[in-house]
Amino acid sequence: MEKISYQDVNQHVIERCRNGENRAQYELYKLYSKAMFNVCMRITNDYAEAEDVLQEAFISAFKNMHSYKGEASFGSWLKRIVVNASINAIRKRREEVVALDEREAGEIPDQVDEDDMEWQVEKVRAAIQKLPEGYRIVLTLYLLEGYDHAEIGEILKISESTSKSQYSRARKKLIDIMREPQLVA
Amino acid sequence: MEDRLKKFVSENREEFDVFEPRPELWQQICQQIPPPQKETTKVIKFNFGGHGSLTADMMLMRVAAAILLLLGCGLTLYLAKLNVPETANNLATVQPATIRNIAPELADAEVYYINQIEEKEKRLSAYDLKVLGLDGTNEIDRELARLDSSYNQLKKQLLSTPNTERVVEAMIQNLRIRTQVLNHQLEILQNINKETLQPTSETQTNEKTNV
Repeated sequence: MEKISYQDVNQHVIERCRNGENRAQYELYKLYSKAMFNVCMRITNDYAEAEDVLQEAFISAFKNMHSYKGEASFGSWLKRIVVNASINAIRKRREEVVALDEREAGEIPDQVDEDDMEWQVEKVRAAIQKLPEGYRIVLTLYLLEGYDHAEIGEILKISESTSKSQYSRARKKLIDIMREPQLVA
Repeated sequence: MEDRLKKFVSENREEFDVFEPRPELWQQICQQIPPPQKETTKVIKFNFGGHGSLTADMMLMRVAAAILLLLGCGLTLYLAKLNVPETANNLATVQPATIRNIAPELADAEVYYINQIEEKEKRLSAYDLKVLGLDGTNEIDRELARLDSSYNQLKKQLLSTPNTERVVEAMIQNLRIRTQVLNHQLEILQNINKETLQPTSETQTNEKTNV
């Protein structure tokens, strides 16, 4: 409900953006740049690169404003552009992500005891940043960007089940990192 | 299995966004956004296309279509221009040639009949009409003038009418009538001349004999 009214508020600004109005473009940038920048940061894990990606994504979004037909909220349309741009950036940087599903199937993660875990945002966030790239991307797309495994499979060009197993391994790894004593210090 | 991590993250989602881009970044972005004019042309583009590659193809097709259209128009205009002077030239060459081109047989007939008419008129003028007591020939003169003017009209018609045969026929008819009229006139005059000459010679001889 909140999302729908939010979208309606933007509709006017989006329309002005389509006409190439600079002030409307800045309004949209102000609204979304922080959230989108954090998406970039989580995927690329590099401040400078995240800025490059954010710039590229916003320019491409403004150029292709007319292809936004309003079937989804503007935020999720924009986020998809940002996510794709981020993935492309790290693909260019390394081949590691491409090899995602080639990682050994590995042990099925044990049922870790999470009851005594200390859940702190900063701790979780820092641990995510410490994850290997492939794990980090699947986990953030699932947990923070709100995509389901089918969508993640589509974004990363992997199967849905690969996304699922990758996520559970990433999750285990995350708990492991959080348990590491040096992190607390 | 309940995912406690997922639950925790979604409950504290806002707090995970800790970074912010440098404020200067907007300057860099807005410098690279294409100006509004381009934007509007692209609006049209995307309305038809949808996806990037598709629109590129559409654009190409449209440009190709426009070029083809222009070429087509150019060619038609060029051909039309080529054709117009040709027909114009034809008309231009026709006009001075006149009868020679339209009805060559008429030209010969005209020369023949006009010579005849002129010759007959000369012979007619040799007679002293007043002496012969034929003042009324004025009417015949008028008739001949009328025939002459209608002949000239027919001559003009010949250049514009598609049915040349009938006009040529009428013209020759006109010439024939004129020569016939003149012939007839000459005949009459010759007869009168004979008649007047004979009695005068008779009277002269009579007078001589009388004397």
